[in-house]
Amino acid sequence: MTRLNFLCDTDRCIECNACATSCKNEHEVPWGMVRRRVVTINDGEPGERSVAISCMHCTDAPCVAVCPVSTLYQTDLGIVLHDKDTCIGCGYCFYACPFGAPQFPRSTLFGTRGTMDKCTYCAGGPEENGSEEEFQKYGRNRIAEGKLPICAEVCSTRALLAGEADTISDIYRERVIARGFGSGAWGWKTAYYPDQDT
Amino acid sequence: MSESVEVRGRDFIKYRIAGAIASFLLLIALAWQVFELFDGDARTIPEVRWGVAVSDGERAGPADEGSSILAVERLTARTKLQDERYRTGPAPDQPAPGGALSRDDFMINTPMGEDEGRSLSESWGQYSSQTGALIRRSERVSGISSLPYANAELFERPFARDWRLGIADIATHLGALSIIGFSLLLALILAIRGRVPIAKGRSGHTVKRFNFFERATHWMTATSFLGLAVTGLVIAFGDTLIRPFGENVLGAAGWISTWGHAMFFPSFALGVVLMALMWTWRNLPSRLDINWLVKGGGFFSDGGDNPPARKFNAGQKLIFWSVMLGGGLMVLTGVTLMFPFYWLDLQGMSWAMLIHAIVGALLITIFIGHIYIGTVGMEGAFWAMWGGDVDRNWAEEHHELWLTELEASSASHKADRRA
Repeated sequence: MTRLNFLCDTDRCIECNACATSCKNEHEVPWGMVRRRVVTINDGEPGERSVAISCMHCTDAPCVAVCPVSTLYQTDLGIVLHDKDTCIGCGYCFYACPFGAPQFPRSTLFGTRGTMDKCTYCAGGPEENGSEEEFQKYGRNRIAEGKLPICAEVCSTRALLAGEADTISDIYRERVIARGFGSGAWGWKTAYYPDQDT
Repeated sequence: MSESVEVRGRDFIKYRIAGAIASFLLLIALAWQVFELFDGDARTIPEVRWGVAVSDGERAGPADEGSSILAVERLTARTKLQDERYRTGPAPDQPAPGGALSRDDFMINTPMGEDEGRSLSESWGQYSSQTGALIRRSERVSGISSLPYANAELFERPFARDWRLGIADIATHLGALSIIGFSLLLALILAIRGRVPIAKGRSGHTVKRFNFFERATHWMTATSFLGLAVTGLVIAFGDTLIRPFGENVLGAAGWISTWGHAMFFPSFALGVVLMALMWTWRNLPSRLDINWLVKGGGFFSDGGDNPPARKFNAGQKLIFWSVMLGGGLMVLTGVTLMFPFYWLDLQGMSWAMLIHAIVGALLITIFIGHIYIGTVGMEGAFWAMWGGDVDRNWAEEHHELWLTELEASSASHKADRRA
């Protein structure tokens, strides 16, 4: 069945950080938090590659399973959303996340982390879609507008792909065949197919 | 001594009826927990459906399967724009891609059914052979990041999924099973065996067992522990116990508990330290303890001929050491959790959280036993820690050697005074 995924083509990512920057701007993400970031592996060595990562909106999402106050929930498109009104800032989702997606406004002492923030796949939160209240808490709701996440749509090399899973798989596969090489879909096993053996 | 038994455990009829009622209720709770263990709701399933607000020029109602498909079609068309530029345009000889929906036509969300959500989630987990060929194996991947955030350099950490199993399945279910199961055992003991009596009845004479400082420390630690336990239980089991009353109630209860948990901690930690200073000496293991444990402390016989003990018997020593080791571990991991990444990295923090949850549940279980034996489980035991004085017959039956020591020293004091 259909769902929306993220895929980062590490043979194209040039670590420009436009995804991270445009995300912060689109959603007015508070100071000290970042919903998307770029990780560079083997920096300065042969085989160096960069990969952009945010919440992957996992299948059988571990953050949803561990949340003690049911702040986190998933939609039929696979998108994992959160409700800032019920979050207690316990940090369970942070420990359960394979990709370090949940962020807290304060990393200060005595557990005063504040309420969690994470990538929404540009799909807002439980408030009415496109409302001012939703924007204040979760940022823009591009999915409700029929658009896809800004990080992928802004990507200048089209390294970062977002959208319907089979479609982005096809785009990536044809690309790999055309150029003759590709390092595969990073993080997909952990994020989307946790219980299927490879 | 057994010939002079005047009070028998089975004579506490009211206590035994209460024990039977509690057993019945706990049996239901245990059955419920076993059901929870196997009802297969551990999988995360989608709860909300996306749908288009307008189809064929008419406003659609709440999102249903049909409007969901239209929503997906729209997003899939948009996804195709990310294909190679010569295919997708925009270019003069290509049709212009569709624009965004207008404000009035924004997609809508509607709650969806559980069964449908489950089949959806299960189908997501299966990949086609074409997709399978693209997938890299699951492994820890770390590099560098130019963004200055804690752990920004970590790309992937598959251990997180194991952590989820540890906290959401193992710690939660193990905790519930041990707490409910042990409570059931105690309730059954009360129903069948009754209280542990003062076999010879009350003598009317009392001896001093705990001084004011000991009692104050005990009750400070005890109330802090109860506060920590209740707030911890809300965090651990609120999703099952409180969520039926509403997600906002759960959110509020969780918020109070998070703060309450930190508020109760300092007095608990202080209590553990004071207890270590006051009582460690008298709680060192001795040969008597083996004898006491072999005979089960005389728990099941109504006669007063319990195995001899000094001020603390082996059972009390076990309670003491579970406070020292378990409580100490809780304080250590708890403080660690309040200071993220000060001395442990993410992996260490994950383990600290798991240990905190599991040891916490076990400590609650142990202290249900302690509370039981200190109140309804044994006649006369409660007053040792409440008023500080115990009946002389109680002391003789449970702490024979301590009573002898005590009376010998007070006799010599009196002799000294007379001389």
